[in-house]
Amino acid sequence: MRSASRTIAPIAGFVALTAVVLVLPAFVTDFRAQQFAYVGIYTIALIGLNVLTGYTGQISLGHGAFMAIGGYTTALLMAGNAQFGQSGLLGIGGGMKDIWTIPIAGLVAGVAGFLFGLPALRLSGLYLALATFAIAVATPAVIKNFEEFTGGGSGINLFGLPALTASISPAHVAGFELNFNNYLYYLAWAVALGLYVVAWLLLRGRTGRAFRAVRDSETAAVSSGVSLARYKTLAFGVSAAYAGVAGSLFAIATTFVNPDTFPIALSIFLLVGVVVGGLGSLLGPIVGAVFIQFMPLWAQQVSKSPGAPAVVYGVVVILLMFVLPTGASGLLRRAGLLASRGYDRVR
Amino acid sequence: MRRTSIAMLSLATLLALAAAAARAGTEQRAADPGVTPTSLLLGGTTPLSGSASAYAAVARGADAYFKYVNARGGVFRRKVSYTYVDDAYNPAQTVQATRQLVEQDHVFAIFNSLGTEHNLAIREYLNAAKVPQLFVASGATTWGRDAAKYPQTVGFQPSYQAEGWVYGKFLARTKPRARVAVLAQNDDYGRDLLVGLKRGIQRSPVRIVAAENYEVTASDVRSQIAKLKASGADTLAVFATPKFAIQSYVYANRLGWRPLVINNAVSSASNIMQLASEGGTNKTVNGSVSVAFLKDPTDPEWRNDAAIRLYRSIMARYARGASPKDVYHVYGMAVAYTLVDVLKKAGATVTRAGVLRQARSLTIPANPFLLPGIQIKTEGADQFPIEQVLLQRWQSRGWRSFGGIWGFRAT
Repeated sequence: MRSASRTIAPIAGFVALTAVVLVLPAFVTDFRAQQFAYVGIYTIALIGLNVLTGYTGQISLGHGAFMAIGGYTTALLMAGNAQFGQSGLLGIGGGMKDIWTIPIAGLVAGVAGFLFGLPALRLSGLYLALATFAIAVATPAVIKNFEEFTGGGSGINLFGLPALTASISPAHVAGFELNFNNYLYYLAWAVALGLYVVAWLLLRGRTGRAFRAVRDSETAAVSSGVSLARYKTLAFGVSAAYAGVAGSLFAIATTFVNPDTFPIALSIFLLVGVVVGGLGSLLGPIVGAVFIQFMPLWAQQVSKSPGAPAVVYGVVVILLMFVLPTGASGLLRRAGLLASRGYDRVR
Repeated sequence: MRRTSIAMLSLATLLALAAAAARAGTEQRAADPGVTPTSLLLGGTTPLSGSASAYAAVARGADAYFKYVNARGGVFRRKVSYTYVDDAYNPAQTVQATRQLVEQDHVFAIFNSLGTEHNLAIREYLNAAKVPQLFVASGATTWGRDAAKYPQTVGFQPSYQAEGWVYGKFLARTKPRARVAVLAQNDDYGRDLLVGLKRGIQRSPVRIVAAENYEVTASDVRSQIAKLKASGADTLAVFATPKFAIQSYVYANRLGWRPLVINNAVSSASNIMQLASEGGTNKTVNGSVSVAFLKDPTDPEWRNDAAIRLYRSIMARYARGASPKDVYHVYGMAVAYTLVDVLKKAGATVTRAGVLRQARSLTIPANPFLLPGIQIKTEGADQFPIEQVLLQRWQSRGWRSFGGIWGFRAT
């Protein structure tokens, strides 16, 4: 009975979420749909970061870098780099349709994450945070340096390319006419919902147990036969692949990439998003993503004095940590517990 | 199960709230978006937060000038309002904020958005959507050079290449034996200045003997300055943003190096020079050469100038709390003045096409916030609004201009 409800509850939640996602564009302006597309994109990155931080207990301050890898993979496959004078082995012709670049971006970022996971095995806690932070710091400089390959600081523009769906004229999908904003919305959320399912399947079984074992006690995990190296690098790889997919969609939605579009701040925002959303629930990543997307806009409405938006943002994060130390999902869990207790009492 | 439904309920509420917020204020439409008989709406992006937030003064200065114009009846009885949005100097946020201004706020035009890559990121979009991208706050040459390809996009300030060219010509004329060391930021801005400098010294005996780059994210340029000194150069060209320009002066002084310093306009505001001079103890600052096209509000020469007096009163009234010593505010007023001039010439029935036509054939012989003699002009294939600068030398705690106006034809 228990195990059945544990399977049914997430499925019911998922169906409800899908329904909300499907009908939402009918109630909002086109532009708002585009903002919610970004919420979907951040949700993907946060699901991935949740696998690493929430389930495996590894901290990462470098996920913006994996998003950059995904974003650049997509931009290069779509626009090519012959325009920057790159030729020979590293020359990329471009012209690939946007949606086909998404899985490749995920794969490339996933491999990068897996490789980074190897040296990261020797580090834990603060030291791992510093090492991952270093990739976030180094990535923009590296992109800038290989100018012929990446276009350097001027970046790569995607708007108006034939490879980009719907940027100039609406696309027709299964009989529906989709403008760019709605296209972005449905694309981002279709991918997000798909990756929710993948994460759920991954985490509910043996692998998820191993991840949690590593998080709770490495010693205990090893003595129960869990290979630390295998599961830590796997968690890094999976989580980086998610970030890569998010970065790819981010590039498509923004129609432009340059090193500054993936700043150090992005990595920090992602970690803040995970913390605000809370760990280990369906809703957490969405709440975190809403926070990442809308909080800077709300902060600006408070004051436009020099530096003020950043201060407002910081104060809100600190307050949230005091009020909701377990994030939004922790709050819901507590609310749910209280409600069910009350229900039992009434009954 | 129950927990999940509570979760879904709260998610739905959240989304519905956001949707409701979005709905308000999408009514009213005139011939072109953003214009009514009583108002005209402009929008732009600027860094209000992040490493480049000092540039926010540009938007604030422009905003203060529009408020002043509005208080005096506006332009053809229309109040000009200017919504500037933070992009944290991140092009991805520039794109989102610009789409919001165009698609949700329905602005008449994007005006004075700041940064090279930031404007590059939105140029294709604005031209496809036929929204004017007026007076881009960036010194890249592409704004003027590619005007035919991007009819909605108009630049403003002198290009970095042109500025570099003026330094080159100046050296070729006054110091033909100069051996120049260059410190440049490792991006298009630093590179454009260097390209211009090289063009300026062509066919002259002036030689560039060393060039060092730094990354925007670097913490200091100590090692670069040491290497440049070791090259034996007698002239140092600093193509760097304020923080690194100040460091260049300080480190050169500590190493006992006294070259002629050429300091780019990005970092030559008086308050920055004061900092670099370390309270007057750093003598490398003396004799520095730079270009200017704006009136510096701290320059005693303009203390009683009508425009600078107006500037101070506008700042006191409409930008309370902001420092009137910051020359970026003057930049903002200069560009806002230019836009108001364009609106006046475009006539009472204002359209995007009409405004663009005026912006493409500008003639403002004397924008009061620019140095006397510098005119704003676009015409036909020449789409670089400001193509004149004044050379100036740092003497006894202030800039002194010399040698008259330098004109150039940017390419």
